[in-house]
Amino acid sequence: MVSRLGILTYVALAVRNLIRNRRRTTITLLTMMFGIATLTLLSALNDGWLSQMKTNFILSFTGHLQIHAKGFEASQNLRDNIADPDAISRYMDTYPEIIGWTQRIRTSGLASVSGSSTGVQIMATDPEQETWVTSMDQNVKTGVWLRPGMNKDLLLGKTVAQNLGAKLSDRVILMTQRPSGEMISEVYYLRGIIETGAPQIDRTLALISLDGAQQWLQMQQAVTDIVIRADHHDQTDTLYRLFVQQLSEQVYEIMPWQELDPMVRQWLEFSDAYGLIILFVVILLVLTEILNTMLISLHERQKELGVMIAIGTQPHRIFLMLLFEAVLLIFVGAVLGYLIALLVVMLLADGGIDLTDYANAFEFFYMDPVIHPQLTRDSALKILLATLVAALLAGIYPAWKATRLSVSQALRIQ
Amino acid sequence: MPEDNRSPIIHIRDLHKCYWVGSMPYPALNGIDLELQNGEFVVLAGRSGSGKSTLLNIVGGLESADRGEARVLGEDILKMGNSQRSGFRLANIGFVFQAYNLIRVLSARENVAYVCQLQGKSKQESLEIANHWLHEVEIGHLGYRRPDQLSGGQQQRVAVARALATEPKIILADEPTANLDSTTGRHLIELMQRLNQSLGTTFLISSHDPDVKQAASRLIKLSDGFIVNSWDEETKPPVSLAVTCPIRNRSFGERLRHFFKPRRRTDQQTKQRTSRHS
Ligand SMILES: Nc1ncnc2c1ncn2[C@@H]1O[C@H](COP(=O)(O)OP(=O)(O)OP(=O)(O)O)[C@@H](O)[C@H]1O
Ligand SMILES: [Mg+2]
Repeated sequence: MVSRLGILTYVALAVRNLIRNRRRTTITLLTMMFGIATLTLLSALNDGWLSQMKTNFILSFTGHLQIHAKGFEASQNLRDNIADPDAISRYMDTYPEIIGWTQRIRTSGLASVSGSSTGVQIMATDPEQETWVTSMDQNVKTGVWLRPGMNKDLLLGKTVAQNLGAKLSDRVILMTQRPSGEMISEVYYLRGIIETGAPQIDRTLALISLDGAQQWLQMQQAVTDIVIRADHHDQTDTLYRLFVQQLSEQVYEIMPWQELDPMVRQWLEFSDAYGLIILFVVILLVLTEILNTMLISLHERQKELGVMIAIGTQPHRIFLMLLFEAVLLIFVGAVLGYLIALLVVMLLADGGIDLTDYANAFEFFYMDPVIHPQLTRDSALKILLATLVAALLAGIYPAWKATRLSVSQALRIQ
Repeated sequence: MPEDNRSPIIHIRDLHKCYWVGSMPYPALNGIDLELQNGEFVVLAGRSGSGKSTLLNIVGGLESADRGEARVLGEDILKMGNSQRSGFRLANIGFVFQAYNLIRVLSARENVAYVCQLQGKSKQESLEIANHWLHEVEIGHLGYRRPDQLSGGQQQRVAVARALATEPKIILADEPTANLDSTTGRHLIELMQRLNQSLGTTFLISSHDPDVKQAASRLIKLSDGFIVNSWDEETKPPVSLAVTCPIRNRSFGERLRHFFKPRRRTDQQTKQRTSRHS
């Protein structure tokens, strides 16, 4: 005998059962909403903060992708240079994912001002091109950015300048080695002081213009780095693959930003793990709450369920009814919670959460004192999936228990 | 199924039922023999704990037995699987319990219609049938109310209407009047009697209500799991635990527990021992 009592009847029964216990349903829904809203918000904060950190990191120095002569990152030796950068730069206009690129020479050296000296990372770049890739020009806190054609201009990281006691217009002597190994030194004039917020940069940077450096080091057109900025973080992989296809790996090394600073990568991975832990904890709470509600409800309704089975309801229909109840609770709660979080995120999106008062703790490591929460599709999917799994787990167990109900025993309950 | 009018509608032979509380066996039915003919209005009487509900539940396929035979409408109900029993109940048996019979979130009408829908009838048809039976039990005007908006007697009438709505051959009622005052209870019994006469439905009712007993076309007395002719204790044979409570009928888990637990004597065993010694 096929029963026509369709699924809708059991959805209706489930809804009415939820409404019957209005207070309990409300409390459970509130818990659900709160849980899911918190989860969504935390993950939006985490995502916003991570994305800002990536941006800051990429903008402060590294770019999304760097191309070097093979072995340069390990040797840091000027002899491992790209002699003909034009062979590479002709690709730059053909990929729309690239919004900026620049050429640099990086080498270590010594800076001295009237007797005191300190080790520096000498970086030479094109004053114009660099502004398309990083925000170093905006990080000039005193003085001016490199001026095109002014080959004696020097900018120092804030800490370097402090250590040397150097002030604007001071004569600074830079000393380093040519690719041939010959030691050379030259007088520069301090025109600006850069503060990126990243200590490893502020402590070592000595910035000069590329043209002058190429003459000084006798490197003709050669550079050590070609630095590329993508339109969006996600495009890094695409660009990486494109360049790997185009350029011989015998001659070049192509490095995405994650490889250029393992510290940052570890930090980001840790933050991802942290996001997963939050997800896990909130889901666990929600699951326990729903499980608890459903089990209490099951206990209260034993007699009624016994009667339903006694008059001919097949146990699998009882199973469906109870499962619907749990899934409905979780679904409605999750949607409401998500909407609340969405609203909060929208309200905060422009202003962000300002942590300037606590900013000292945030200053290192490319963090911004103002966090802009961000709801990404990835984390929305993660949350959705996790609640779904939780709903099924929390729904299936009580529903299954109901099908194992001893009818005769349930009927003895008065 | 070929049904001879004279063959009994309920046929029970040597039925035993044992409950286990941990490792303690409790014999609830000790060899019941019973036959009901089509159209009878039978009342099961007996003290509390005598096994009335147990017997009704076994006949209704809600509970298993440890030994014996129980044929309902010619079919061996003890040999059926769970879903088979469920279908059998739906098609052939109506239930009325002592109280809280109804689905609380459905109106009286929907409660009655529910079983018709379970049988595969359309919602519309089911609601019409429900109306009909609610009128039969004289509360046609209250169909829209939910159970908690009805008095105990009205609720029991809805339960009777629901039991009848599938047009079953048998109605099993376990103390249907126990929660009602005597006047309301009498009215309910009169109603059931009338339906028994007009529809020919067989009724098996458990009760210790004297009014109910009076209405019976046949009264069956149950005492300590035996059917007795009078309430006199002497007429009962001794209980045999080996027959009623064989270990082999226990579930695997219970058997494990039984194996590991020190054996304790049951009340029955103790009684038998002391009587042997004295
Ligand atoms: N699940 C169970 N476990 C153990 N013993 C049980 C169980 N169910 C019933 N019993 C016992 O079986 C015996 C018969 O119970 P039953 O419910 O059939 O009695 P009854 O005649 O219906 O009593 P009442 O008039 O109080 O309803 C009782 O002594 C009871 O204690
Ligand atoms: Mg009883």
